[in-house]
Amino acid sequence: MQEHGINPAGAGQREDGQLQDLTRKQLLELEREKKTKLQLWLDLLIWLSPFLGGLVSILEYTRIPDNSLNRNPGTYLGFLFILIAAYGIYCVVSLAALTQGNRDIIDKQRYRAPLFTALFLLFAFYDYLTLKTGILTQPFVPCLNFVINAAWTDRAMLLDCTIHTLGLLFLGYFIGVAVGLVTGITCGYSSRCRYWVDPIIKFLGPIPTSTWIPIMMVVASSLFQGAMFIIALGSWFAVTVASMTGISNVDPEYFEAARTLGASDRQLVFRVAIPRAMPSIFQGCTQAMSSSCTAIMIAEMLGVKSGLGWYMNWSKSWASYDKMFAALFVICFIFTVVTKTLEAVKRRVLRWQVGVEK
Amino acid sequence: MEKKHVVLKLDHVSKGFAKIETDEVTHALDHISTTMESGEFISLVGPSGCGKSTILRLIAGLIKPTTGTLTVDGKAIEGPAPDRGMVFQKAALFPWLTVRNNIAFSLKMQGTLRGNEEKVDNMLNIIGLQDFKDDYPGQLSGGMAQRVALARSLISEPDILLLDEPLGALDAFTRMNMQDEILKIWQRRQQLAIMVTHDVDEAIYMGTRVLVMDAHPGRVIADIQIDLPAPRDRSSAAFVAYRNDILNKLHFGGQSEKSAS
Repeated sequence: MQEHGINPAGAGQREDGQLQDLTRKQLLELEREKKTKLQLWLDLLIWLSPFLGGLVSILEYTRIPDNSLNRNPGTYLGFLFILIAAYGIYCVVSLAALTQGNRDIIDKQRYRAPLFTALFLLFAFYDYLTLKTGILTQPFVPCLNFVINAAWTDRAMLLDCTIHTLGLLFLGYFIGVAVGLVTGITCGYSSRCRYWVDPIIKFLGPIPTSTWIPIMMVVASSLFQGAMFIIALGSWFAVTVASMTGISNVDPEYFEAARTLGASDRQLVFRVAIPRAMPSIFQGCTQAMSSSCTAIMIAEMLGVKSGLGWYMNWSKSWASYDKMFAALFVICFIFTVVTKTLEAVKRRVLRWQVGVEK
Repeated sequence: MEKKHVVLKLDHVSKGFAKIETDEVTHALDHISTTMESGEFISLVGPSGCGKSTILRLIAGLIKPTTGTLTVDGKAIEGPAPDRGMVFQKAALFPWLTVRNNIAFSLKMQGTLRGNEEKVDNMLNIIGLQDFKDDYPGQLSGGMAQRVALARSLISEPDILLLDEPLGALDAFTRMNMQDEILKIWQRRQQLAIMVTHDVDEAIYMGTRVLVMDAHPGRVIADIQIDLPAPRDRSSAAFVAYRNDILNKLHFGGQSEKSAS
């Protein structure tokens, strides 16, 4: 570099060569705006703030006297410690990645840190409103310690109910999606098939899924089968409509191109129409999942004698509000996991779509 | 693969399209008769509505003629086949496949991909997109996309290459580059190439023969052999003479003669 005054062209060439060899990551690294010292300190503080939030919630729980009787007070404390420890492990992992030269993980963690802090503060605030002051009356709105205790004592039953709910959900969902794919794709492709299926969709489509539940209770031989049918019907409808529009909206140019390249009629369906309609089909699957989740909860609360929805209703009738809330959290958790999984599959399959993959 | 000599014959080919709202029929093509054979690069030039794209689609087998026959070596064209490759104006690459898989599509459809992978790599090299083989079409520029579309139809070594305004959507510089690239690729096997264009310069620059067409009804009004050595000089007197001749036939002659004198 000290020679660049003598031979600027040579130096320029060398730098060009270097630029060509850059990876995307190195380029971003080069163009990254340098942070000031203050910003760096602030980043560090925010990155560590969930620990502070955790400390606040522990102090709130241990220092402020309880307003009502609190059995097994250690459970909530243990829960908080587990969360804080989990964040600690997260920190260690991202630091390890950083020493390997991978900035992404720690950047993401820094991005999420305020949310984690807020979560801890929310816990503290909720605990203050319930256990510490009774502004939200016990035991109708139970504090987190009650809920966690209830979930732990009744874990066998909760697990059983969870398995039952998931079994029913997936069975109904997959049957509905599978049949929906077949009808949607054939109808999207053949107008003769659409002629017969369209009226069915127009007739059944506007009816909300839950309308079927009372009918199913009477008609179906078992409530499990009835609920499964309702869930399958809802998903069938969503997937059929989405894949039908998806297939019939495929640009004819793709079919023409494929035909000149020697594709058979079968290949036009499986190699052109279905891949092209995939975004639409996935949209249908996501919609089907959310309608299934709604349908299963309604079915379990109204008729089916098992599952998390039933458990919530049942514990309410026994005035075990802590169990009711425990079941609510489990429902939240499993639906989140299911939706996230579907998202991940979608991102993987549709990575060719501009905008989906960055 | 050895070069195969083919003769494409159009015998009194007419094509009408029924209009959707009225009872009328558009005469897209009116009794077209001509013979084309391997080694020719034929430019179809004319105003929009003259049926030049319709001719390509008939040869590709995507549509059927209303009357008349199209034959390749005496055999009637029944439908699309990979030995008549087509490149579309909008490239029509499959967006869900990578560049490499787009090029391999035809082989895959015919079940001959296995054992022919090096053909795909070879094709990637010819169009100079080796580094982009794992990209999706959405990430390519217009010129790159057209090169992939060209490679995609060339992979099964068609005897007839149909180009439907392949360069119509490109900017002027990319366009001129692509003209030379297409010519270079065509010269390797000298298959019968038929290109639709509405650019008279492009038609003369690339074609060994130019069919000038007019609309209402669509018909061939002139069939001109271009006897200029390649590479052609767009500003040479002979080139300009061809251009004036064609523009005259398309009724734009008056202006261009004035500007030339």
